[in-house]
Amino acid sequence: MIQTDAELIERNVAGPTQELRLRAPPLARQLSAGQPVLVRTGSGGNPSLRRTFYPVAIDDETWTLRLQPSGDWGHAWQRTIPVGSSIDCLGPIGIGYAIPAGVRNVLFTGQGEAAWALLPLILLADTRGLSVTLAVEGNRARDLVPAQRLPHNAELHLATLDGSAGRPGRLSPLLPELLSWADCAMAAGALGFYEELASAADASRFGLRRGFAQVLYPASFLCGTGACQSCAADVAGGRRRVCLRGPVFDLTELRR
Amino acid sequence: MSIELAPHNKRGLSLTSPLIAGSGAAGFGADWPTGLGPEMFGAIVTAPVSLHARRGSPQPRLAELPGGYLLATGDHNPGYRRVIREHSQLWRSIAGRPTSRVGTGDGQPVPVVVALASSAPEDWARLAAFFEIEPGVAGLELSLPHETGIPAASAWIGAVRRATDLPVFVKLPTVQARLLAEPSAAAGADALVIGTPPLGACPAAGGGWVEAPVSGPIARPFTMQALRALAVRGCPVPLVAAGGIQCADDAQRCLDEGAVAIQVRSLLWVDPAAAARLAEAMRNPRVA
Repeated sequence: MIQTDAELIERNVAGPTQELRLRAPPLARQLSAGQPVLVRTGSGGNPSLRRTFYPVAIDDETWTLRLQPSGDWGHAWQRTIPVGSSIDCLGPIGIGYAIPAGVRNVLFTGQGEAAWALLPLILLADTRGLSVTLAVEGNRARDLVPAQRLPHNAELHLATLDGSAGRPGRLSPLLPELLSWADCAMAAGALGFYEELASAADASRFGLRRGFAQVLYPASFLCGTGACQSCAADVAGGRRRVCLRGPVFDLTELRR
Repeated sequence: MSIELAPHNKRGLSLTSPLIAGSGAAGFGADWPTGLGPEMFGAIVTAPVSLHARRGSPQPRLAELPGGYLLATGDHNPGYRRVIREHSQLWRSIAGRPTSRVGTGDGQPVPVVVALASSAPEDWARLAAFFEIEPGVAGLELSLPHETGIPAASAWIGAVRRATDLPVFVKLPTVQARLLAEPSAAAGADALVIGTPPLGACPAAGGGWVEAPVSGPIARPFTMQALRALAVRGCPVPLVAAGGIQCADDAQRCLDEGAVAIQVRSLLWVDPAAAARLAEAMRNPRVA
């Protein structure tokens, strides 16, 4: 983990969301998908807490964060800071996703904004020549990762509660078939979504085994070193500090 | 530079820098943020330890406020036995480590002070006896719960005093500091930490409420008020300022108002680089 000043080099606005591309070579080289970066969002120490961001793009020199629609005052500061400004970043935190050796078919699945954290991993899997499927659900089409952000070879399944994209309703009816195709799964969503994923894997794969699915625990962080204990949650058989043991866990560790 | 925090204790506890890593700033002494280490501080205070393991508070634990935050861990810790088993070697190593990077470089050790959990003050005397024999432990910090009265404070501190010769630091709630300072010193406190800020309650971002002492810069006015009140009255033991200190100017104000040392915690979590700058500045606080 390092603390560094990143230079805001690009801002992409898409409706109520923004993506900020930050140049921070030492940080970008250490960062992997699923590892959060704690970003100072304000000047003069206000707001006093950093905001937690999962990278939606990573290269050798830069990483990109996504500002989702929100009323957060820290995010509001980020929406207006000029390109060329310096932003204080602390990261990477904890353990990110890792595609296991020897897999061919990788299922990426998630919910709404959380699923954006899978994007760097999807691109990585594609460059490794793996078969990639992304299955995401959300309230409406604008919440979802758009098809144009995916590699050409990737298969995409969408579900929206309002029916504005993909199948109307939830993703759950599709999961058994997708899970039986996959050699491994990477997920980002809410805890309830992971329970459904575990049940679907149980049913379609004759049991959920360790090593099959990695999931991103939904948490925000204060210090990222484990000292503050603000992220402690009931996971992996006890009340653990998510920033040290995760935030990416094996799905079996989230089962109660 | 040498600052004696326990001048009336036969063991004493001297610091080579007035800057102390406050309770749990680095967990039990191992969880340092980037660019910081024990050698940059005059002493470190561990996270609170209890007699038995405590699972602590469920989520949510953290809620943001303008100028600070609320953090409710519920004294989450694995109990003293496991803490000693897992950390005593580290404490011995820290206690024998000379200040080198930004310290005075005079080869003095970095004392480790163990904080005892405020959720069970009736266990403090037993815990004190256990830590008395730990070679890496230089002192104990007792954090009096909010709304502690004089009889309870005197009884708890007195019991610890009888159980150990270790220097004992008592952290007072800022709103009761004037009330409790003299009785705490009379009961055996070697120094007073000023202090635990008032309690607040705030809804967390993801739902639920967090109730805890206010933390971060918002705590500083409470610290300053209590410190000034005690400085005016005079205090028979050294005072340590804690709460909301963010920079060398804040620290210097505390020293000017009568504190002999400063504890920082949030700063290590939120801005480790600023904590490193403060550690550097505290090498010579009068200049800073």
